Amino acid sequence: MSAKLIKEILLIEDNPGDVRLLQEMFNEHGAHDTEMTHVDCMSAAEKHLVEHAVDIILLDPGLPDAQGLGAIRRAHAAAPRLPLVVLTCLDDETVAEQALQEGAQDYLIKGQIEVRGILRALRYAAERKRLERLKDEFVSTVSHELRTPLTSISGSLGLLMGNAAGDLPKPMARLLAIAHTNSQRLVRLVDDILDIEKMQAGRMVFNFSRVNVGQLVTQAIEANRGFAEGYGVRIRLEAPRIAADVRADPDRLLQVVTNLLSNAIKFSPADHEVVVAIEKGTEMVRFTVRDHGPGIPIDFKPLIFEKFAQADAGDARKKGGTGLGLSIVKQIVDRLGGEVGFADAPDGGTIFHVQLPCWDHVASLAIDREAKPDALRLLLCEDDLDTALTLRQQLGQVGFATNFAYSAGDGLACAEAAQYQAILVDIQLPDGDGISLITRLRALPQYRDTPIIVVSADTSRGRDDLRSSKLNVLDWLNKPVDFERLVRLLPKRTVHDANKRPRILHVDEDNAVARALGEIGDVVTVKSIEEAQRALKADDFDLAVLDVTLAKGAGPDLLPELRDSRGNVIPVVVFSTRGANLATDPQHKAALAKSHTSIDSLVATVRDRLASRPANVSREVV
Amino acid sequence: MSDIRILLVDDEPDIREVVDVSLGLDREFSTRACASGADALATAAEWSPSLILLDVMMPLMDGPTTLANLRKNPRTAHIPVVFLTARTQSAEIEQYISLGAQGVLSKPFDPMTLAASVRSYLPASVAHHVS
Repeated sequence: MSAKLIKEILLIEDNPGDVRLLQEMFNEHGAHDTEMTHVDCMSAAEKHLVEHAVDIILLDPGLPDAQGLGAIRRAHAAAPRLPLVVLTCLDDETVAEQALQEGAQDYLIKGQIEVRGILRALRYAAERKRLERLKDEFVSTVSHELRTPLTSISGSLGLLMGNAAGDLPKPMARLLAIAHTNSQRLVRLVDDILDIEKMQAGRMVFNFSRVNVGQLVTQAIEANRGFAEGYGVRIRLEAPRIAADVRADPDRLLQVVTNLLSNAIKFSPADHEVVVAIEKGTEMVRFTVRDHGPGIPIDFKPLIFEKFAQADAGDARKKGGTGLGLSIVKQIVDRLGGEVGFADAPDGGTIFHVQLPCWDHVASLAIDREAKPDALRLLLCEDDLDTALTLRQQLGQVGFATNFAYSAGDGLACAEAAQYQAILVDIQLPDGDGISLITRLRALPQYRDTPIIVVSADTSRGRDDLRSSKLNVLDWLNKPVDFERLVRLLPKRTVHDANKRPRILHVDEDNAVARALGEIGDVVTVKSIEEAQRALKADDFDLAVLDVTLAKGAGPDLLPELRDSRGNVIPVVVFSTRGANLATDPQHKAALAKSHTSIDSLVATVRDRLASRPANVSREVV
Repeated sequence: MSDIRILLVDDEPDIREVVDVSLGLDREFSTRACASGADALATAAEWSPSLILLDVMMPLMDGPTTLANLRKNPRTAHIPVVFLTARTQSAEIEQYISLGAQGVLSKPFDPMTLAASVRSYLPASVAHHVS
């Protein structure tokens, strides 16, 4: 690749002096074809990378919103296919070296750079990245190509071993068993290489759901029992029925348990036990896999989760491993939001442990408990907890309470259980696509007009969907979310009702009702339609409570007049102990609820209506 | 009696042969094999198999396209299709199911249990009628 192919550099740097220095260098020394764009924090960089073409990233990993390795990981995650060069200070060289392990192509030390040096470093970085990509593509193609002949080989050997072609003489069976075992090993190796490659390219999809660890571990043990018997090893599960559910991708978690089990089995001496145990904490579920093997040599401990790391190559070959198992375990557990580690067992052998977030803990996070009582309520349907928590935190600062739904089914149930003022939907949900969820939400009368915003890593996917044109989606936002744009789309609380008791117009003759309503807000009680009309001219109300069986003047006549001074429709709760039937104009119908029974249930209805009022009100204005 | 007809579609001759032997372990199966999607469309219409086992990556007409074409022809639209593929990421499986496939089996497969797996995808009427 020539330097000409570097057209756009994104400089992520918060020190204005360094920015000026770099820009001057570029301008003075005639890097004519190269443009440098500058942003001063990681969230701005993430946004820029979504919206603009960039050829290379130049990153100072000491930013206000991201530091050190965290900054490097975020930049890499935002653009896994782009070359990344890290800018560091003299005393930061350890960070720089770790940066290279995290996927950066090179680093430059501030104070030691001049423009030719930078350009050369950028060119080399781009070239290295190109070669990495070629390698990844090559690995992917080769692995796929290898599977075809492997299918024929392992299939044929499997048939022979199963005596599908007749009984085999003993020496021949022995040789075929060797060929069969090794073809299986080759299949595992190809699978592992593909997995590693996918994870590094950020192409492995994780589908989160509620997973019972006991059942999943039992399943993994059953699947590996034959393998264990081959080594003369027993597997024992402690506390299999413990109610420990985690939030994870079941397929990927099974892969983690299987890899840990097969390692433990391979390194256990015959006639020993591999013990799996499950413990539940408040936030995390922990499971351990203990073997009675020789333990991990001390020099090897720091390398254990590295690719192709094996304590002793000869030994590993004897064990039939690929050297990728633990590296895959580490990468999957990281993506699942958990932690993996190991320790020497007290009386020999090794204990590996994995900790994953408890389902209950994650589920308890679904309700926004930090929000102010008068916050506008949003529902975010999103299966990625980190994304959800980040959005909640940002939205909380501007006065929203954000509840989570982790799946489409969950989203529908939440939406039905409470009234939300706006709904944010991720297009990719574990149990279905967001478009189907929106279709079902729109079918609910209370969400026919509620603002719905799509948030997705790839909004073009659903946007082009024919179904989506009818769904009245307010906007399609790419991840990472442009927060300012999102806030502009969300419903706003009107000035007068923030930090203020709601004003209720009460059209009735019942004093008990007036007293009960007085606990919720400021009540103006009127006894006739005429009085109500006067009150409406004089005052703005957030809600009206109306007895339709009021003797003087039919209640329904008042409905069209229930508007505030800006012409917004005032929500109405109709209260009738006599179950009057009410015909209303369509405009008011959505804002109308009926309460037939007790004062308590009337008060509950009024509270609910008030909680949902801002969406109704602001929607009517637009 | 060989009454359950399985049509196998794969461009690799060796895989066709191994699958043929594997399916032959079930005495009630009779198998025919096609090397291409186009061949499969013609054979399916003429032979009316109980189930089609379909490779995904094939030259000219790939598995998903073959499936779409099978669904367009009234004579083959109802035949259950199971993909036999080296690509079995769960997202891909969901995608194949959404295309109208009954199931997905992965390559390499266990040849001793392939027939039983295929049987589990047969409509109850076919499976019970015979056995």
